[in-house]
Amino acid sequence: MVKSVIYTVVAIILSLSFFIFSHIYVKKQFEELETSVTVLYNKTENKEANREDAYAVRNAWDKNKESLHIFVPHNDISYVDYWLNEACSLIYTGNYDLALAKLEVLKWISKTLPKGYSLSLENIF
Amino acid sequence: MTLIFLRTAIIFITLLLIMRLMGKSQIGEMQPFEFVITLLIAELACIPMADTSIPLLYGIVAIVAIFILHQIVWLLDLWILPFKNVICGKPSIVINKDGIDEFQLKKNNLDVSDLIESMRTSGYFNLDDVYYGLYEANGTFSALEKQEKTYTLPVTIIEQGKMIDNNLDICKIERDAVNKLLKEQNATLRKVLVMTVDGNGRVYFQQKGKPYKILHIKLGYSW
Repeated sequence: MVKSVIYTVVAIILSLSFFIFSHIYVKKQFEELETSVTVLYNKTENKEANREDAYAVRNAWDKNKESLHIFVPHNDISYVDYWLNEACSLIYTGNYDLALAKLEVLKWISKTLPKGYSLSLENIF
Repeated sequence: MTLIFLRTAIIFITLLLIMRLMGKSQIGEMQPFEFVITLLIAELACIPMADTSIPLLYGIVAIVAIFILHQIVWLLDLWILPFKNVICGKPSIVINKDGIDEFQLKKNNLDVSDLIESMRTSGYFNLDDVYYGLYEANGTFSALEKQEKTYTLPVTIIEQGKMIDNNLDICKIERDAVNKLLKEQNATLRKVLVMTVDGNGRVYFQQKGKPYKILHIKLGYSW
């Protein structure tokens, strides 16, 4: 009986700690992505972005997404991958106008995607 | 992750509620919340296992949520008696000294044929073989049996106001003989809850809202 109560309390505490950690972690990863994409966006807008800038954003994202796969559905991650790679290749070819459109989408995704995992009424139901 | 936990909790509570509303016939030999857990665990384990687009952690969190909910329900069950009645239900006495309690049967979404089936499964073939019969909260049938049981196989002739013609043919009983018996008892077909006849012509007869009677009817042959 006492053992069961202890197990339950421990499970609740561990779960709560894990929920808080995963919430903060996922939010932080997407905030980082949003920041780097915004910088790249500004550079692209000024037509200053080059291949290295684009690849730096992509490499940072590649590093972050390895651990994000544990917490976020893999389809959502590949969605970011798709838009980021498109933007990178457009910057590489010097097609800044189209790259801006892709980056705009990416900015929006990195802002809204974590909201899909947050605690809200529309997400629960 | 909190989202998964909450969603699991909502599904758990909804399923539990539905299983309670469905009555004892759907439960089998488990408490309602155990049955809900059995239903959920299999799915929760399967989906992230088979679908590689979902992180395995989603399944693990949901299963841990089920464990926590199970423990909470179990502890509340032990500590708070009214809660136990709400979650697990109460035993229902469906056979008493007056015969079948139709109200209790309906309350548990059961009918007379379900009761007869449960009795047969428990080894009682006649409705008057027991003083009291009840459905436990986990759906099993328990009975306080009479010392003198009747060792014959009864056949249902009327069930909840409906004559079963096929059984009349099996027993070789004329419809007129049944109508005559109903007339003698001042009853109409619609008011009869149950009437069974065994191989010796022994009739268990109960009208809705009235105590049962043991009568006799002449048979074409005995079995």
